[in-house]
Amino acid sequence: MSHHLELFWIMLRAALLSTTGTGNLPIVHQDLLSRGWATDRQFAEALAIGQISPGPTGLWVISLAYFVGGLPGAALTLIAIALPPLLVLVLVHGLYRRFGHHPATQGFVRGLALAVAGVFVVVLTRIMNTARWNSTSLMITLGAIVLGATRRVPVFVMLAVAAIVGIALF
Amino acid sequence: MAAARPAHGERIDHWHAGLTVGDSPSRTKEPFVCSAISPWRLFRIWAVIGAQSFGGGSATLYLIRRETVERHGWLTDDDFSRYWGICQIAPGINILALVSLIGWRLAGASGALLSVGGLLLPSAGITVGLTSIYAGIRDMPVVRAAIAGVVPATVGLGLLLAFSMVRPLLKSARSDGHASTLVAVILLLVSTIAAAMARAPVIAILWSAGAVSALAQWQFAPRQRSPR
Repeated sequence: MSHHLELFWIMLRAALLSTTGTGNLPIVHQDLLSRGWATDRQFAEALAIGQISPGPTGLWVISLAYFVGGLPGAALTLIAIALPPLLVLVLVHGLYRRFGHHPATQGFVRGLALAVAGVFVVVLTRIMNTARWNSTSLMITLGAIVLGATRRVPVFVMLAVAAIVGIALF
Repeated sequence: MAAARPAHGERIDHWHAGLTVGDSPSRTKEPFVCSAISPWRLFRIWAVIGAQSFGGGSATLYLIRRETVERHGWLTDDDFSRYWGICQIAPGINILALVSLIGWRLAGASGALLSVGGLLLPSAGITVGLTSIYAGIRDMPVVRAAIAGVVPATVGLGLLLAFSMVRPLLKSARSDGHASTLVAVILLLVSTIAAAMARAPVIAILWSAGAVSALAQWQFAPRQRSPR
């Protein structure tokens, strides 16, 4: 049970200290891998499932928590990601009005987001290590970037095609 | 611009008064709050949005806007963009912050809670369902092969996401001048290298970048704004 509570705390802390649905990824990645609770492969799988399931970006942690702690883990993580956004109500009641347009606030948000993007790329390369590094996988990565950039192909279709290519070639 | 400023401030005051209605009944005469919308009705609306918005955050955001601004007229265009602006600095998933704000505005504290729950429960339920199905078949050779194809695609989409996160940030840094641009580029590079090399806690990397950027912006931004 303490295992589950610790998972809850990891997820809550990561959501509190970051913004957006993927800003918590670098923190969760470090916390779970250092404990040996999750693998890079599970991160990749959770991200893929998060991309095909409906709802806001950020539900990948629910999928990951299911791998780590089963249904109780997923339920606790659901609570952990639901709580921090409610703090926006506190923010509105004073902080945002006073400090929202202060240059330092804008600067902080920008710096945080830049660092998240930087660390995110490092995490992605570690996730890539779980697949085979060869010309086929690099072509799939490139194809996903190109198709994704057009914004015309649904993510579900892209991942389905990638799965079929995987079955055919690996 | 000069005329727009006071109007903007007034709206925020209004809106603040409206938001406080939930916890101070003495102010319920404020006309800004919509007439009682049942929190459970809100729950149902968010649940439908949560379950049908395939394709990530932008699809969800689009549906929320269509439902609250266009279909029901609960919010003006202006409200919606201001709320979304505030949610950029809220912790956690921005869209959950947005629905909690809208829920609070329309139905008070229970509205906020039920809105977040409504958006999350069906979509998280589907996520758990997909994961448990997947967990049952993940060791089959054919699934392993499929995943070997899906992982590089996920990485590609992730890189695209990182790029789309960075681009507007660098753009706004550039409009703040050379010094801000330099700071932004250095922060991006240093945080990437620090994450790749060091065993430093990621939280320390993220928040130091935030702190450095806050200080830099504080230094560089006022000179930019004074002429206006």
